[in-house]
Amino acid sequence: MAQTVRSTAVTATPATQADVELRRVVKAFGTEVAVRDLDLTVHQGEFFSILGPSGCGKTTTLRLIAGFETPTAGDVLIQGANVSTVPAHRRPVNTVFQSYALFDHMTVKDNIAFGLKIRRMGSPQVRDRVAEALRLVRMETMAARYPAQLSGGQQQRVALARALVNHPAVMLLDEPLGALDQKLRKQMQVELANLHRQLGITFIMVTHDQEEALSLSDRIAVMNNGQIEQIGTPSDIYDRPSTAFVADFIGDTNLLPGRVDQAYPSQVQVTTDSGLRVLACTASSSDAQTVVVSVRPEKINLSLSAPTAANNCYQGHISHLMYLGTHLHCVVRLGSGETLMVRQPNRAESLGVDTAVYVHWAADDCLVLDPA
Amino acid sequence: MPVPGTRLQTPSFSRRSAVSRRRFLQGSAAVVASLAATNCRQNLAGPPAGGGADDGTLRIYTWANYTDDGLAQAFTERTGIPVVVDIYDSNEVMLTRLQAGGGDAYSIIYPSDYMVSEMLELNLLTELDQSLLTGLENLRAQWSNPAYDSNNAHSVPFCWGTTGLLYNREASPGEPIDWNFLWDNQAKLSRRITMLDDMRETLGATLKSLGYSYNSNNPAEIEAAYNRLLELRPHIAAFKTTGFENELLSGDLSVSMAYSSDAIALTLEDERMQYIIPASGASLWTDTLAIPATAPNVDAAYQWINFLLEPEVASTAVERLFFATANQAAFDLLPADIQNNADLYPSDEILAKSEGIVAVNTASTDLFDQFWTEVTSA
Amino acid sequence: MTPAPSPTPAVTWADRLAPRRWLGPVTLLGPAGVWLLVLLVLPTLLILEISLVPGLRLGQPSGGYGLGNYLQILQPVYLRVIGRSVAFAVGSTALCLLLGFPVAYWLALMSPQRWRNLLLVAFILPLWTSSLLRAYAWTTILRPSGVLNAMLAAIGLPTQNWLNTPTAVFIGLTYSFLPYMVLILYASLEKLDTRLLEAAADLGASPRQSFWKITVPQILPGIAAASLLVFISTLSDFVVPTLLGGASSMNISRLIYNQFLGPTRAWGFGSALSMVLILAVSLAIALLIRYGDRNTVTET
Repeated sequence: MAQTVRSTAVTATPATQADVELRRVVKAFGTEVAVRDLDLTVHQGEFFSILGPSGCGKTTTLRLIAGFETPTAGDVLIQGANVSTVPAHRRPVNTVFQSYALFDHMTVKDNIAFGLKIRRMGSPQVRDRVAEALRLVRMETMAARYPAQLSGGQQQRVALARALVNHPAVMLLDEPLGALDQKLRKQMQVELANLHRQLGITFIMVTHDQEEALSLSDRIAVMNNGQIEQIGTPSDIYDRPSTAFVADFIGDTNLLPGRVDQAYPSQVQVTTDSGLRVLACTASSSDAQTVVVSVRPEKINLSLSAPTAANNCYQGHISHLMYLGTHLHCVVRLGSGETLMVRQPNRAESLGVDTAVYVHWAADDCLVLDPA
Repeated sequence: MPVPGTRLQTPSFSRRSAVSRRRFLQGSAAVVASLAATNCRQNLAGPPAGGGADDGTLRIYTWANYTDDGLAQAFTERTGIPVVVDIYDSNEVMLTRLQAGGGDAYSIIYPSDYMVSEMLELNLLTELDQSLLTGLENLRAQWSNPAYDSNNAHSVPFCWGTTGLLYNREASPGEPIDWNFLWDNQAKLSRRITMLDDMRETLGATLKSLGYSYNSNNPAEIEAAYNRLLELRPHIAAFKTTGFENELLSGDLSVSMAYSSDAIALTLEDERMQYIIPASGASLWTDTLAIPATAPNVDAAYQWINFLLEPEVASTAVERLFFATANQAAFDLLPADIQNNADLYPSDEILAKSEGIVAVNTASTDLFDQFWTEVTSA
Repeated sequence: MTPAPSPTPAVTWADRLAPRRWLGPVTLLGPAGVWLLVLLVLPTLLILEISLVPGLRLGQPSGGYGLGNYLQILQPVYLRVIGRSVAFAVGSTALCLLLGFPVAYWLALMSPQRWRNLLLVAFILPLWTSSLLRAYAWTTILRPSGVLNAMLAAIGLPTQNWLNTPTAVFIGLTYSFLPYMVLILYASLEKLDTRLLEAAADLGASPRQSFWKITVPQILPGIAAASLLVFISTLSDFVVPTLLGGASSMNISRLIYNQFLGPTRAWGFGSALSMVLILAVSLAIALLIRYGDRNTVTET
């Protein structure tokens, strides 16, 4: 079938077993289409993130996997079985909810034991598994408390324990750290990564936080407008964004719209709308004439004297300067009128507003993308 | 106050301008009671300010349909005294209200016979100054010296009636002649009977059915009556003083113990309805006019009594409001068809067997209370 | 509002009595306080006093204080009346819960959003007519020649003479207080966090398991409040037992009524019965406050 062909094509490493698969899934709420024609394969044991701005359909995608929504069209497969019409309580997945959704009429222990008791597991075994889960999230001393007596971070751990105690095939995490403050977040990120490594099960996490996605994930799907823009490893996504949306959404970038003058085997010559001539790599085999050149601020070199580089070298002066300790963040206005964000290691050079500078970057450090 | 209750009557009922002494939904009694209870509390906590202010108005506390606008207007035209009428639906409600501090609110009340005795014992009635009354000589002889109030010293008989059985000819297993009918046909009449929610009347009728007096002071007789009533109790649909009429008309009830005033009204409305005064005798009741001991505006009260004693006033009121008058001169002025209505004015033979209900001694009262509670709570 | 406390520790009496300090609370609480005192506390104390005079009948000389009226309640006939009242209350509360819960559940969680308010109003509509009128209407439905039997006969079922039986009282009470049950349960269910139900399903609970393990415990305070309200109301209802129960259903309110406005006029005994009723109701409310709300429990 055509669908199967497509999905295997998406699969990067066919050797690894697919744990979760979405095949041409469409989800519409009335006339509103939340997810359109989505293909996705998550491998066993993978830490997979779905990243995107709010309203992009990432949570709906997760809910389709969890079984809270049924697809309008297409199929959801978990461990090879088509579960499109299987209700949530019969799916071998467990979810950590953004709001935690802890049962406030039960103690921590009872919350965690809930799934096991539902499965009619014997009570000695339940006790052992709950104790193990509590240990994993380091909440052994809180077993008898009610959720209302816990801090946000503690509630988060209970929510994690409640899901992982069931040894699900797949853990689904819906913005799991969204409600935590910055410091706690960093700490929990480490714990999540540790947990994933210890348990060895598939994690699928929905987040709008790119840093979180980049630091935790094996692979990331960037979603926009109900569709996947790009699937890849964090460095794929960051260094080789396949669309202008991805380049812009992940990290900071300078986007220079222009036209292709001349195409070489792996590079193109572009003239930007403001008249700069830029030599850049091509990421795809697109032969579009109207393109966007993306160059990351930290890839741009700044120097007071004229560099020896042949390509992509321009003159300008600093119009804004922000001192960030380890870095300097500058805005450079070029002679052509364009402005570029530049991130520069904090060296001894005396830079200031209105300082005349040269900016230059290697052709390999900038990408030609289809315009959004 | 009576309006919510009366609205619930069938249209055919409310159109009729006939007598209804105690005709109210019991629910409206509840409303009245709750209001009365509120008053009790307030009045017990302290007398209401100006509750009995003597502002020249004649305040009357009476049964429904004993006084209509025509009567009140005629009085006001005659005397220039405005009239305000409040309604009660049981002697006990009236008594409670008066005892609880409303005694100075009304100039005229209409207690029934036994209640006159009780109120006398409680010193709640004004001794009437006979020299201020005119037309007493018009009263029928049997009310010249009633058992409940010697020589009418504290009350003036206003109207009277009997308590008997009202039945639907089409829904009854036969024509009742005596109280025994209920016991003899209890299987066929099961839950098709209502008895009055009136301790003395219902226990009294049972006493009468055993050949005893309504006013028995014999504990053995009273207990016998209790046991006999207990035997009938599972077949009694409800103890109701009012509100049985619709079910009787629809045939859902066969027989209801009823006051003659309510019963006759219904027999005139529907020919299937029959009223009988049981052969072994019934209770004879009299409603009177009396002045509370602490009444305001006593002069106006005397004027009201004298007004109602006038034969012309009384007879026109009877024709319009349709009750049995105790006033012989007024009776003589009535049209023949009313005079000859045996339900309204029963024969002397039946009257001779019947009794008025009078207060019994304290021991018997306690026994009545106890047995009545047992029967109604069982 | 009251001014912020002065930093100086020396608070003189003049300060304490400064009018502005107590003016606010007095103005805000005064009217309701006086209202409650005059119309609730004082009458209740009065009833308490009357209840302590055995054999009190107005107008008759009475002895001193004693517990005679309360001992009288222990007679079998009165215990039977109290037992019957409790049975009416428990039975009709259970019926209300049984009938009301599905309705409230459907209204709160399943009914179409834009019709919801209309449906709710439709359900409360009966409350806009007098309870007396509604009870009276049931007599025309339940009596042998009434609407119910006409319908039963039309579909070939045996007719029932339910009027003037405890069955009629159960029907009447349930009908009268069902809207209250639905309203309170609706308010409770509407606040139910449906994400908890998703979480339960996610953990493997079937809809039925979710219902018993999550929905019911979550709205238990609502169920308790609604049941208690209906229980209290039905325990002391007067109209329905009087109109629909006939001779078969003397309950505590009718008994109290009879003591005050019936032939026996035993005010002392009636007051004792009232005090027992007040006590029972207060106890029920106290239980609700103590155990009805889980959050209150866990926070203390």
